[in-house]
Amino acid sequence: MSDQESTAGVNGGRRAFLGCLGGAVAATASALLPDPGRAALPASPAAPAGDAAGKHQWAFGVDATKCIGCLRCVEACKAENEVALDAHHFRTWVERYVYVEGVDEPRIDSQSDPVNIAASGSEQHYRFANRYQEEKVEKAFFVPKLCNHCTHPACVQVCPTGATFKTADGVVLIDHTYCIGCQYCVQACPYGARFFDVENRVTEKCTWCYHRITRGLLPACVEVCPVGARVFGDRNDKQSPISRFLAENRVEVLKPETGNAPNVFYVGIDKDVR
Amino acid sequence: MPKHVRRLILVLLGFGVLALTVRHFVVDRSFYRYGHYRADALAEIARDQPKFRGTAYCQSCHGAEYDAWAHSPHNRADGGGIVKCEVCHGPGAGRDPGHDYIHAATGPVHPQNLHLAVPTDTRALCSVCHEQIVGRPAQQRQIVIGDHAGAQQCSLCHDVHAPSRLKGAIAVASLAGSAAAGQRKSAACIACHGPAGVSAAGLLGPTLAGQNRAYLAAALAAYKSGARKNPIMLGVASSLSSTDIEDVASWFSSQKCAVVPGGAEQLAAARKAGAAMCANCHGANGVPRSDAWPSLLGQSGDYLKGALRSYASADRSHIVMSTLARGLDDAAIERVAAWYSTAACKRGREDE
Repeated sequence: MSDQESTAGVNGGRRAFLGCLGGAVAATASALLPDPGRAALPASPAAPAGDAAGKHQWAFGVDATKCIGCLRCVEACKAENEVALDAHHFRTWVERYVYVEGVDEPRIDSQSDPVNIAASGSEQHYRFANRYQEEKVEKAFFVPKLCNHCTHPACVQVCPTGATFKTADGVVLIDHTYCIGCQYCVQACPYGARFFDVENRVTEKCTWCYHRITRGLLPACVEVCPVGARVFGDRNDKQSPISRFLAENRVEVLKPETGNAPNVFYVGIDKDVR
Repeated sequence: MPKHVRRLILVLLGFGVLALTVRHFVVDRSFYRYGHYRADALAEIARDQPKFRGTAYCQSCHGAEYDAWAHSPHNRADGGGIVKCEVCHGPGAGRDPGHDYIHAATGPVHPQNLHLAVPTDTRALCSVCHEQIVGRPAQQRQIVIGDHAGAQQCSLCHDVHAPSRLKGAIAVASLAGSAAAGQRKSAACIACHGPAGVSAAGLLGPTLAGQNRAYLAAALAAYKSGARKNPIMLGVASSLSSTDIEDVASWFSSQKCAVVPGGAEQLAAARKAGAAMCANCHGANGVPRSDAWPSLLGQSGDYLKGALRSYASADRSHIVMSTLARGLDDAAIERVAAWYSTAACKRGREDE
């Protein structure tokens, strides 16, 4: 293809020829180098491998009105996915928004807050400390967060090696053998869902427990949630928990203005949750 | 075609061939199968073994614990979720974060080289969900730990697998005796417990009027068997048959006395008086939450102090009371006794 183009360029004069030459080089290069735009498409025509086969369209729901901030999900995620056992690396985490009377901005803490780490007494176990007792609290709630597995993921767009990608069944994954640890995606993610695994020199993130959902199990965080604040399922199945969750609730997503089109849907959050 | 153009075409062709060759060897075969990524990565990621195995997996070995749990509020999905085994125990397979907990029977191996967490610090574990903290939604059952349990472990009173089942609740014969027959048989009681069971200053025994029938029957049975030691009561109780005990218990429990204190304010006052821990079972005003526990209505301060001290000194023994009483100093005993003896003789439930 590139040869025909460059031959045609000869008849059109030097300028046109050089233009075509540039195009040919670009075409050759695009065949070799990653093209993030193509990978960012929601679903490829071919079905992906494994049990997923593209017949599912996975999605996640979070009901913040139910979350009790017990952080069992956070500990379960670390155990299931062997995430570093420290207070700085999480595939999923929980934030607490506390609105104190007379203060406009909410106070936000998560399980990695030093006060909460002190309350649990360990960086490997998590709990929310009994704080804000002296304050007049108008409103407070917990918000579980995780990778949004966006329909148009910015992280996939910036990956220079095709190591991170979106599968046909709607999960954004990282191929650790292709990840070069450049952390471009960590910067690109507007939700802070990615982190760098220093030990293995690769980027890490939530996979919705891909190894579980492809076996018909629930993600570990959903499995252990004692109050049903986390919902997971297949949007193609109208009877699935997530389909019912989306049908029965007015849901919202985080930072819709970024155009990433998240697939984690929230109920019961405030405008300050981003 | 000029020579230099031919050369240029050849060079470009060479580049093309080189590029395709390099691509052939460098790029993974599965790379473009589904898109701009390595298709084989999907199967590799999916190959990880799940560690959380679900309740059926636990049930296969731990049937009794499973059954207790299955009938407990932790297995009631009214809030949308249930508290599965692995919420408290950690993953059935795979590593246990921190290796803090070791399985009592199998050590750190469960079932084969896998860790299972058996939480020993139930106070830390249960409070993760049930401590009252800012942000926790109202529908979640929450406690102020100090008020509810003092410094005790939750497992002291609660069955850990069925937490609504309380260890302190003693099962008593469900057959109620005849109150009328009990009145006739209660002549021996009046000397110490007052007419109709309302004790007064100078009388030795506690008020029995309005006391829970089940508790009275259990107390008499305990005196008769010697489990509870009191020389006078041993003499009286040994002369009573089990029918007599039921009758007498029915008679005194049917007797009522005056004064009904309130609910929420009463609880706040009890908390202030340092009696919040007692109120968990005996109610803020002395009316207990279960018929198996004694009513403290109308008891004299001296009797209550004596009872607490005998629990502390092991003269009287009870799975919950002994531990709690040992944690109280003299000042605390005085305060609690003073609180529950404020009204001379009360009746009615705080939740009525």
